[in-house]
Amino acid sequence: MSETPVVGLLEYDEMVEEPGSSTISRRTWYHYVLIVAALLFAAISLGFVGTIFWSSWPEWIHHGTTLLTGKGWTSPDGPFGGLPMILGTLETSLIALVIAVIIGLGTSISIVFFIPRQFRTIVATLVELLAAIPSVVYGLWGLLVIAPWMQTTVNPWLNSWPFAKAIFGNSGQEFGTSLLLASIVLGIMILPTFVAISREVIAVVPQDLMEASLSLGATRWQMIREVVLPTAKIGLFGATFLALARATGETVAVALVAGSVANVQFHLLYPGTSIAAWIATEFGEAQGNEISALMALGVLLMLLNVCLALISRSLVTRQRRALARV
Amino acid sequence: MSNLIDLEEPKDTGHDMRAEIRRTSERVRARRVATSRIMVVLCSVALLVAAVPLVLLMYQLFKQGLGQINWKFFTTLPTTPTLIDPTGTGGISNDIIGTIALTVYASIVAIPLGVLVGVYLAETDSKLATTLRVVSQTMAGAPSILMGLFAFSLIVHDLNVGFSSIAGAFALAVLMLPVIIISTEIAVRNVPLTLREAGLALGAKSHKVSLGIVLPSALTGIVTGVILAISRAVGETAPVLLVIGGGYTNSWKPFDPVSSMPLAIFENAKSEWPSQRAQVWGIALVLVIFVFILSLTARIWASRKQQVRN
Amino acid sequence: MTEIKTEVQSSSPAERGPIAMQLHDVAVSFHGRVAVRDCTFDVAKNRVTSLIGPSGSGKTTLLRALNRLHDLTPGAKVSGKITLEGTDIYRGNLTVTELRTRVGMVFQRPNPFPTMSIYDNVVSGLRFNGVKKKSLLDESAEASLRSAALWDSVSSRLKVAASNLSGGEQQRLCIARALALDPEVLLMDEPTSALDPIATLHIEELMKDLKSRVTVIIVTHNMQQAARISDDCAFLLMGEDRAGELIEFDTTEKIFNNPDDSRTLDYTLGRFG
Repeated sequence: MSETPVVGLLEYDEMVEEPGSSTISRRTWYHYVLIVAALLFAAISLGFVGTIFWSSWPEWIHHGTTLLTGKGWTSPDGPFGGLPMILGTLETSLIALVIAVIIGLGTSISIVFFIPRQFRTIVATLVELLAAIPSVVYGLWGLLVIAPWMQTTVNPWLNSWPFAKAIFGNSGQEFGTSLLLASIVLGIMILPTFVAISREVIAVVPQDLMEASLSLGATRWQMIREVVLPTAKIGLFGATFLALARATGETVAVALVAGSVANVQFHLLYPGTSIAAWIATEFGEAQGNEISALMALGVLLMLLNVCLALISRSLVTRQRRALARV
Repeated sequence: MSNLIDLEEPKDTGHDMRAEIRRTSERVRARRVATSRIMVVLCSVALLVAAVPLVLLMYQLFKQGLGQINWKFFTTLPTTPTLIDPTGTGGISNDIIGTIALTVYASIVAIPLGVLVGVYLAETDSKLATTLRVVSQTMAGAPSILMGLFAFSLIVHDLNVGFSSIAGAFALAVLMLPVIIISTEIAVRNVPLTLREAGLALGAKSHKVSLGIVLPSALTGIVTGVILAISRAVGETAPVLLVIGGGYTNSWKPFDPVSSMPLAIFENAKSEWPSQRAQVWGIALVLVIFVFILSLTARIWASRKQQVRN
Repeated sequence: MTEIKTEVQSSSPAERGPIAMQLHDVAVSFHGRVAVRDCTFDVAKNRVTSLIGPSGSGKTTLLRALNRLHDLTPGAKVSGKITLEGTDIYRGNLTVTELRTRVGMVFQRPNPFPTMSIYDNVVSGLRFNGVKKKSLLDESAEASLRSAALWDSVSSRLKVAASNLSGGEQQRLCIARALALDPEVLLMDEPTSALDPIATLHIEELMKDLKSRVTVIIVTHNMQQAARISDDCAFLLMGEDRAGELIEFDTTEKIFNNPDDSRTLDYTLGRFG
C-alpha cells in the first residue's frame, strides 16, 4: 500500500478500517454496483471472444488446414479456403499503410513544424473529421466516384506501360473495383489514425533537443531527420502498427470497392477481397457450415488485430517512458 | 583541480583540420539549405494531398446529395424502382427510425455500464481493473465486424431472437462500451486529488465523494466520450449488417427487423437502378452531417472544459 | 572541498581588446510585447562575458537572440543591431546555419541527443555541416573531448549511448559538441543550474581555460559564479512595464565593487532578486 501514492476511493474505505473495529467490510452498496458492472463487462468481453471461437470450432476441427491454405470458397457446401482473404487482407493493408505512412508523416511534420499556430487547430479538426466520416461513406465514394475514374483513366494509363501491366495485370474489370482501389481507399481511411498519433509523438520531442541541433548549424530538415524522427522512432512505429490494425479490420469500404472475388490474386488491378470484407459479403447468404467457416475467418481477424494492437500499444508506451527519461 | 583540464595546445594538424572542416562546410552549405527547402515543400505537399480526399468527398456529397433531400425523403418508406417507375425510390423513414432505435437501445445499456466500469477502473488498482483496462483498450480497436459476429452467435442464433434491432443494438453497445470506459476513466482520473481529499477530510463516505464531487467534476469528459461513442455507433455498418435483417417498415419494436442509414447506403450503393444509387448520396449526406455535428460538439465540449481548467 | 576563490580580473573597458560581437539597441519582443530592450554593449574577444539579473529580466531571451534561436518562435521579433566580426547577423550576408556554426550554444539542461552515442553526439555538428571524412571526424572528436576535459573518462566507451553519462559529464559532452565546430563565440545559458556543486566547479574551471580559443557569453542567476568566472558583466533588470532592460555593462570588477547604478549594487549585495 505504501507504494501507491494515489489511493482510489474504493481502497480508501478499506484502508481506514482499523484493527479491532468491526470485521464487517465497510464496502457500501456503491462498491458492489461498480464491481458488478466490472464483472459484467468482463463477462461480455469473455463472451465476445468465447462465442466467436465456439461458433467457429467445428470448422477448425474438420477443415483447419483448408481455412488457412485453401484457395477457393465454394458456397454453400465448401470447401472454404481462406487463403485469398488472408492474402487480400495483407496486400491491401500493406499498400494502404505505405500510402498512409508517406503522406501521413509529411502531414504530421507539416502540422507540427511548418503550419502557423493559428491554423493548427483547424487542420487538427479537419483530420478528426476525416476520421469521423463513416467507412461506408468512403466505400460509397470509392465505388461511385473513384472506381469509374480508375476504370476510364488510371487503369488504361497503367496498362499503357508494359512494365506496370506486368505488375498490376490487365484491367478488364467492368466497374473499376480492384485490390488497388481498395488499397487506396484504405490508405485514405487510415491516414487520420496515423496522423493523430504520429503528430502527438512528434510534438512531444523535447524542444531543447531541436534547439541544440539548430545551434550546431543544422537546417530545419536536418533537425527533423537527424534528431526529431530518431527520437520519435518507437512511437512512430506504434502509430504504424495501429494504422495497420485499422486497415486489416476495415470491412464495408473494402467490401464495396475490392470487387468481392475470392481468388488468390497478386495483380492488383484484379478484384479481390479481404477477411473482414468477405465476412460482410457472404454472411447474408450463408448457412450451416459456411457460417462456421466465416466465424473462423473472424477468429483469424481477431488474432491478427490483437497482435497488431498489442505491439502498437507496447511501442507507444515505450516511447512515452523513453521521453520521460530524457 | 588543475590537472583536470587538459587543454590541448593546437597541434600542427589542428589548423589543417579546422580549415578542412570550414571548407567542407562552405562547400555543402547551399546544398543543405536547398535540400531543407525541398523537404519543407514536400511535407507541405503531403499535407495538401491528405486534404484532397476530404475536399473531393465533401464536394461529391453535397453536389449529389443535396438534390435528393426533401420532405418526402425523410417521411416515406422506400420503394423499389420498377421498369414503369424507374425513379420511384421513396424515402428513408425506416432507415432513420432504425438508426435512432439502434442507437438509443445501445446507449441505454452502454452508457451506464460504461461509465460505471470507467469509474471502477479509475478508483481501484485491483488485478481485475488492470486486466479490464487492457481488454477495453484492445476492444476499442477491434474490427467492428467482430461485434456483428458476436451478436449473431449470441443473440440471433443461440438465444434464438432472430434478426432484430435488439441484436443490432447489442452489437453497437459492445462497440460503444470500450470508448465510454476509456474516456470515463481518463476523466475521473483527471479530477484533482485535492477535491477528493477535501471531501474525504470532511468525513464523507467514499460513494458520496464519488457521486457528489468526483463524477460532477468529470462530467464534461464523460459526456465528450459518450458523444464520440454515439457518433461512432451511428455510422457503423459492419456490426449491424449481420444481425438487423433490413426491415422495410417503420418500427421501434426491439424484436422487429430494422434497417439503418449506413446499411441502406451499403445495400443500395451497388443497386442496378441509377435512381437508387443517386439516392444513396442523400442518405450519406444526412449521415455525415449528423456525425460531424456530433464529433464537433464533442470537440467543442472538450475544449471548453480545457478552458475552464486553465 | 576546494575553497572557491573569488578572482576578479582587472582591466578597464578600453583595454579589453578586439571585439567579437557588438549589440546596439537590441530589443526582443513576442507578439508586440517587449521582453528585453535597450541592450547596447560590446563583447570582447577571448573573454568571458556574463549576463546577470533577477528572473524575468530577459537574460536568456537576449542570449538566444545572439544565434537567432528566436527565428523559430512565432511572433518573436528582434530589433536593433547585432554584429559578429562586423557582420550584421540578422541583415548581413550571413546565413542562419553559418551563423550558428560560428556562434555555438550550451543549454540550461544537459541535452545530448538521446538516440546517439557519445561519439555521434560530439561529431553531430560536423555531420550536420556535411563533414563525412572518418579521419577528420575522429580527430575532431578527440580534440573536442579533450578540450571539454572528457576524453580521459570516455575514450574507451565512445560508442555508448550518451544518456549513460552523469549530468555533469553530459553537460561537458554538450560543450564538446559545440566546440567541435570550432565556434568563435560560445553562448551558455545557465549551464550549471542543473548540476551538482562538483560538476559545476568542473564546468567553471573549463570555462576559464576555454577563453583562450573562444569568446564565452554566459547567462547565470548565480552572482558568485559571475564574479568567479567572468571578465565583463551585463546587469539586466525588469522595468516597470515588465520588460527587461540593460542597467549597466562593465568589467566584472567594477560591477561587483563599484557600480555606477545603485540598483546594480543592491542586486550584487543580494538586497533583492
